[in-house]
Amino acid sequence: MKKSRYLLLLVAMLALALLVAGCGGAKETPKAAGGDTIKIGFLGGLTGGHAHYGIETLKGMQMAVDDINSAGGVNGKKLEIVEGDHGSNSSEAANVTQKLITQKVSAIVGDPTTGITKSAAQICQPAKMVLLSAGAVGPGVVEIGDYIYRDTLLDAVAAPAVTKYLAEELKWEKVALVTTTGLSYSEGLTGIFKPALAKYGMEIVAEQSIMEKDTNFSAQVTSLRQKQFDGVIFTGYYTEGALFMKEMRKQGLNQVMAGGDGLLGKELYELGENAVQGSMVYAGFAVDSQTAAGKTKEFIEKYKAGNNNALPDMFPAQGYDAVMLLADAMKVANSNDPTVYKDKLAQTKDWKGVTGTITFDEKREPIKSPVYLQEVKGQEFVVKSVISIDK
Amino acid sequence: MEAIISLLTNPYYIQVVTMMGIFLIAALGLHLITGVTGQFSFGHAAFLSIGAYCSALMSIHLHTPFILNMLAGGLMAALWGVILGFPSLRLTGDYLGITTLGFGEIVRVVFINMKITGGAGGLAGIPRETNILLVYIVVALSIWGIYRIQNSRFGRALVAIREDEIAAESMGINPLLYKIKGFALGTFFAGVSGALFAHLMQYLNPADFGFARSFEILNYVVLGGLGSIPGAILGTAVLSLAPEFLRFVKEYRMMIYGALMVLMMIFRPYGLLGGVDFVQLYKRLKSRRKAGPTLPGNMP
Repeated sequence: MKKSRYLLLLVAMLALALLVAGCGGAKETPKAAGGDTIKIGFLGGLTGGHAHYGIETLKGMQMAVDDINSAGGVNGKKLEIVEGDHGSNSSEAANVTQKLITQKVSAIVGDPTTGITKSAAQICQPAKMVLLSAGAVGPGVVEIGDYIYRDTLLDAVAAPAVTKYLAEELKWEKVALVTTTGLSYSEGLTGIFKPALAKYGMEIVAEQSIMEKDTNFSAQVTSLRQKQFDGVIFTGYYTEGALFMKEMRKQGLNQVMAGGDGLLGKELYELGENAVQGSMVYAGFAVDSQTAAGKTKEFIEKYKAGNNNALPDMFPAQGYDAVMLLADAMKVANSNDPTVYKDKLAQTKDWKGVTGTITFDEKREPIKSPVYLQEVKGQEFVVKSVISIDK
Repeated sequence: MEAIISLLTNPYYIQVVTMMGIFLIAALGLHLITGVTGQFSFGHAAFLSIGAYCSALMSIHLHTPFILNMLAGGLMAALWGVILGFPSLRLTGDYLGITTLGFGEIVRVVFINMKITGGAGGLAGIPRETNILLVYIVVALSIWGIYRIQNSRFGRALVAIREDEIAAESMGINPLLYKIKGFALGTFFAGVSGALFAHLMQYLNPADFGFARSFEILNYVVLGGLGSIPGAILGTAVLSLAPEFLRFVKEYRMMIYGALMVLMMIFRPYGLLGGVDFVQLYKRLKSRRKAGPTLPGNMP
């Protein structure tokens, strides 16, 4: 009995300590000063499975807010971020979205994933709240309504541009197309590549399908050996991509592959080693010390200074652009009322951000330029070409 | 007064409380399976997803009234409960747990690969039909229904199976048949809960129904007190509201949530209200006999 009482005391003290620590953390954030600030909601996972995306996006947003505030704010008001962590859980995300709306934010930036963006959009649209996703690339997002936006590079924009580059610069004429069946990302990307390949006069001499988490591709590669082709278009993820290339080298095939940002991960060269040298991956943002200039260069330097010289990936860059896009739309509309400035946001044209130029088309889908085509060299991705998109 | 009204009409609180009600229905279903019948199910989220997808697809493609879709979702989940129940309820304890865990994963993978469910991209375009009133009407009906089931001849048979299967069998109860019936009823509530969830979120993704969700619901029931309806209610209320109320501590949130669970298990090993029977407590108080709640020694 006595022992358990001590235990209870200990636990109570621990709880109190945590509570105090928690309150201490809360005090650090600037106090909301009524109508003098414009609140921007952040929706994303700071904990849980997608925590990396959320934390990085928030870093970029904070950098944008600091930049805007030091330049005098928007319409005479300072910006302020209201964090909404949903622990990478979609039912909690619905609660958080609702909470941000009741906290009277002027816009919500998030979520970095397509699935949660869609469920949040179902709440934002009827509540007349602008939701700008800094990461959703899947289909069916902006179709939910005219308050829903995103600032990411879409495969529908990037894949044709990359195909053109392969045809015109690298003189590819015949390709093998490899799809991961059952993976909606891969099937979707294959569906975009096929008409693009036809448009730029490339012939698909072989089509192979693989499954996610497959490790043995000898059958598919053996059938490719009988064909003549210049390269492989691979629409799946990096693990399968690396292993597929290894099998090709084992069977004496020397072609390289090209694919979308599903291949973008250090696992590609860690696992693929020599087999993936020269393979190409496109993405909406990459750190390229040669071509980076102006805003982009400033952003990279600032990020490095604040993060022990680590290089930013696309999430902080997209988070930064999201806040900047919203701020500019609010400035043009001279209002931070979502019902007013959302029309100005929709009219965004040739807007320059750190990830490139953004234009919203008539369906409010972003057209981003340029596309960064990167190539594996040694143990890193090196920018091979910066392809600008013509509208 | 004004503050109370604004509190009651705050859409955030309504959302949180509605979500709690939905999980409460699922928890009551699991209460019947795990708490009353004593069968461990680690795949409850799978039945939620069956009910959710079934009702959502009916709403989208057949445009049938929501109440009908909700019941169909529940019945579809119950049907799969029976199909799963026949082979797996012959197993007991750990083995049953692992079978249901496997079933949960199978359902998730099937939904990821089916065309009609939108696959990994998720199912969007579900009309919003769920509201707080409807949810709590269903909650009230569920509590009443489960209370009636638990205190019927059927319910006592389930308790007998939980306490000692062999003894129950010797009393003329067919354990398999009763377990399957109990399982089907429990999964029916899961299906109804899933249907309400689908029409609240308006978007479904198989990733929402992984085993993490199953364990969450199991936590509600176990930490609330196995075998007690008020326990399941209290467990769901505490554990589904805690992450929201703890939001102010930011990153420490899930740590405190975890610590809360550990503490509950240290100080209340049978759950918050484990072994507390309010009806008996009331009767005892009435007869002015002084007795505290006693913990049964034979809880699973």
